[in-house]
Amino acid sequence: MQFDQRSPVYLQVVRWFKEQIATEELKCGQEIPSRREIAAQLGINPNTAQKAYKEMEDQHLITTERNVPSKITMDQEVVKKVRTEMLDEAVAQFIEAVQAIQIPLGEVVTKVETMYQSTERRKIDA
Amino acid sequence: MLEVHGLKKRYGRKKPILEGVSFSVRPDSITCLIGLNGEGKSTILKAIMGLVPVDAGTVLVDGEVSREKIAFVPDLQTMPGYMTIGDALLYMSDYYPDWNPKVAEELMGLFKLLTTDKILELSKGNQAKFSLVLGFALDRPYLLLDEPFAGIDLFTKEQIAWIFSSHYMEGRGILMTTHEIIEIEHLIDRVVFLQDGRIIDEHDTEEMREVYGKSVQDRMREVYQR
Repeated sequence: MQFDQRSPVYLQVVRWFKEQIATEELKCGQEIPSRREIAAQLGINPNTAQKAYKEMEDQHLITTERNVPSKITMDQEVVKKVRTEMLDEAVAQFIEAVQAIQIPLGEVVTKVETMYQSTERRKIDA
Repeated sequence: MLEVHGLKKRYGRKKPILEGVSFSVRPDSITCLIGLNGEGKSTILKAIMGLVPVDAGTVLVDGEVSREKIAFVPDLQTMPGYMTIGDALLYMSDYYPDWNPKVAEELMGLFKLLTTDKILELSKGNQAKFSLVLGFALDRPYLLLDEPFAGIDLFTKEQIAWIFSSHYMEGRGILMTTHEIIEIEHLIDRVVFLQDGRIIDEHDTEEMREVYGKSVQDRMREVYQR
């Protein structure tokens, strides 16, 4: 994993998990690696892994009980929230970029639809 | 906690190299002592180990004046030319009661080092790896590493960096010196900047990224180019 050295590593790890939760690569109730394992796997400081897991617990993304591996939440609402949050974030960035070059909404929407569909088609062809 | 208080050192009649250096290293964390070349980083490590006399200052390890809890790997270049890795490992296990042969063996295997190789004939990368074997195989709660990444290529750096995210870090507080931090920033818990014989700045790296949106490299530029 490549890290952006200007933003906190633990939040980048949390985001990495969120992406996998949103795409259901990590499913509800699925066990995740221990803090030690994830530190070694991602090549990060064990304290940072610890902090990332704490943050995910606080955000109810994972649950941790004593002496058993942490698991992805069973709460579908949380998973929905993660998806919404990631979509909002991506769209907000996109809007900022198109507003900066002053493209009207109608044109943007048409463009998004055609490009979205053609990239989907290309993915299927590949 | 490893605490360094008011270290002062002057070599001969020259300008003092350390003018009252104080900082601390937390257990179970990695602290990086950053300074440009010739700022006295190695002198600080040697002073902590009592290998150079200082003019003033104290070092406390978990509240005590004792160095038994600190591991330090001396410069391999000072070892005799005939010495092989195997010789050095034997020497370590004879000399140090807290030498852990199991860890040494595991790391030798992971780093693919051969006991028959002569230490002075090792590549820079393998010397760096062997230094880590010597340091990590001592069961001590603090480990001092002098420029563990100096002069080695990117891929070797990555192989070495792995150890700092592994279970070998358990129960270890590390103090490492470096003059360049690229590629290892995300491994470090805390950075301490040394300039003109003093600590001029220190930060938790995650806090620096979160609060100031800065990398360690950014902060280094600000500190040393002003």
